[in-house]
Amino acid sequence: MKDHQIIEGCARHNRKAQQLLYDRYSRFLLGVCTRYASNRAEAEDILQESFLKIFFSIGDFSGKGSFKGWLRKVAVNTAITHYHKNLRYRYYVDIEEYVSTETGIADFEEDFCTADELFGILNELPAGYRMVFNLYAVEGYRHKEIAKMLKIDTNTSKSQYSRARALIRQKLESLRKLKGRYSGA
Amino acid sequence: MELNRETVKAKNEERIIRELFRQKLEHAELVPDPSVREGLMKRLAFKEFLHFNPARFNIWYLGAGAAAVLAVVLLLSGGPDRSDNEKNNTAPPAGNYDMDVTGGLMNDQAGDLYPVKLKEAGKEMTETCDIMLQGSPDSVGGAERSRVRTDQGEDDIFRTAVAKSIPENILLPAAGRTGKSLQGTTASGGLSFTPSVTEGCIPLRVNFRNNSTLSGPFHWSFGDGGYSHERDPEWIFDNGGDYKVTLTTPRPDGSSEVSSVTISAWPVPSAHFEIIRPDNNRPGGEIRFVNYSSGAVSYKWDFGDGNTSDFFEPRHTYEKQGNYNITLTIYSENGCRASQVIVNAFSGSGYFIQFPNAFIPNTGGPAGGYYSYTSDESAAIFHPVFSGIDEYQLRIFSRMGLLIFESNDINIGWDGYLNGQLCEPGVYIWKVRGSYRNGETFTKMGDLTLLKRE
Repeated sequence: MKDHQIIEGCARHNRKAQQLLYDRYSRFLLGVCTRYASNRAEAEDILQESFLKIFFSIGDFSGKGSFKGWLRKVAVNTAITHYHKNLRYRYYVDIEEYVSTETGIADFEEDFCTADELFGILNELPAGYRMVFNLYAVEGYRHKEIAKMLKIDTNTSKSQYSRARALIRQKLESLRKLKGRYSGA
Repeated sequence: MELNRETVKAKNEERIIRELFRQKLEHAELVPDPSVREGLMKRLAFKEFLHFNPARFNIWYLGAGAAAVLAVVLLLSGGPDRSDNEKNNTAPPAGNYDMDVTGGLMNDQAGDLYPVKLKEAGKEMTETCDIMLQGSPDSVGGAERSRVRTDQGEDDIFRTAVAKSIPENILLPAAGRTGKSLQGTTASGGLSFTPSVTEGCIPLRVNFRNNSTLSGPFHWSFGDGGYSHERDPEWIFDNGGDYKVTLTTPRPDGSSEVSSVTISAWPVPSAHFEIIRPDNNRPGGEIRFVNYSSGAVSYKWDFGDGNTSDFFEPRHTYEKQGNYNITLTIYSENGCRASQVIVNAFSGSGYFIQFPNAFIPNTGGPAGGYYSYTSDESAAIFHPVFSGIDEYQLRIFSRMGLLIFESNDINIGWDGYLNGQLCEPGVYIWKVRGSYRNGETFTKMGDLTLLKRE
């Protein structure tokens, strides 16, 4: 079945089409959701929510542009809603946890880490940082747009992004140390 | 100049990290657990059921319709009781009730629920309800109170009644006044909850203790868009501001108990500074600081060598060279604090490794790769300039990815030969891994051009 046939089927709430859509895109969307979640269970929750949204608003898909892109957008928006709903579970960042900036240049060999390890790094980030980092670095939104989506200040978005980056760099470096200096051949 | 270079460096790093994540994760796929699919299909079926669609009209909708009609009938027949009772609070409402208590009322513990059957003679309607004893039956004797909760089929309005231990006095259902006297709070506008703190720096964690004697449901609104239904919630205010926290609890009579408190969350200043090093990293030079902090009224610098300063942008000269942690702690007018530390602020100046991007091998045959700074003025050997290297591994690949050269000795570079043959002029890739003497590791890669000697 082609994508557009599945889309039409889903618009008619055809169970078969819905299942096909799930089977085709759940892995990709779980990848998106995992970036926004702090663990696998939360990611799968967001995934379910996203699919419910997709099934009920598939009529909104204009047919123009990439369907995958539209799916991703729905998932990202769901993740944002989820984040707002769960604000109170937000990672508690102690004020004492200062931002440390080291003055070395970061050079990362392209293949020194796997996608799974990067997912792990994102999962460990405080939720607010994770949202901003994902939206800016991976999704490619601008700080102004992110501020609107997350209902925060543009400057907050910027500073959270740079703090997220500092944390990520620390994690990348410790990951690299962990993997040993001469592990690769 | 130094500042510019730092900015460029930071920008570069930002790009590296951004691209790393985008490349690896933008299209990354993960296989969901099969249970997710099952759960989704169940939720989907339920949600679609709620979204009525004539095309899918079936027996389930008929069933739901029948249940709804039944519920309405029950609701309407329950209505008159309620209004009757508001008029007469201490005596049973119109109609006689026969009560059938399952289990001994007097002998049992407080707090238990007892199924009670009430039969209204006039209407021939049977209701089943649970009686919960509040307080100890032995201690209060005749003045003992019980709470009666009825559960009328689809009608899930909980009604509360007061009863003395004499069964004939059970009221069904309760009126507002009874509720007040029983609950005893907030009628006068007093607070039905206590926050653990009412002001503080963000993130401000507040525990709310619920003093209400109502059984809920509790609707907490925290003034920042957040809400909760817990009895004693905890909330963290992440942004500065005054927040009106409101607890709304419906009373049994349909009115609500509302109390609110204002919580002041003070914003935390943001600490950020950069170091401007003396020209050429000259030891003993004066170090300046650029302070980008905002929202603060006082500043405290700790230079890591035992000296401190209260200036906004101090200058400092270190007596000895070394690795210092520089800490800036700033305070807002409310005393909220933030800090930034630059760890090993001067580590970058000590150890480094850098490679050139081109070299010109000798054409006279393999040179072996040994080099010294004085003997390799003609750049015939590809080698790094470095300081403080501990472990080291250099590998050079052809553009096809073939390993051409490998060295674990920092003093041996590449002479441009492979198996006695001079390699073709062109671009090669180098990768280096290793560690500095302070344990810090490095991994770098780049390209180099093998030039032909004219």
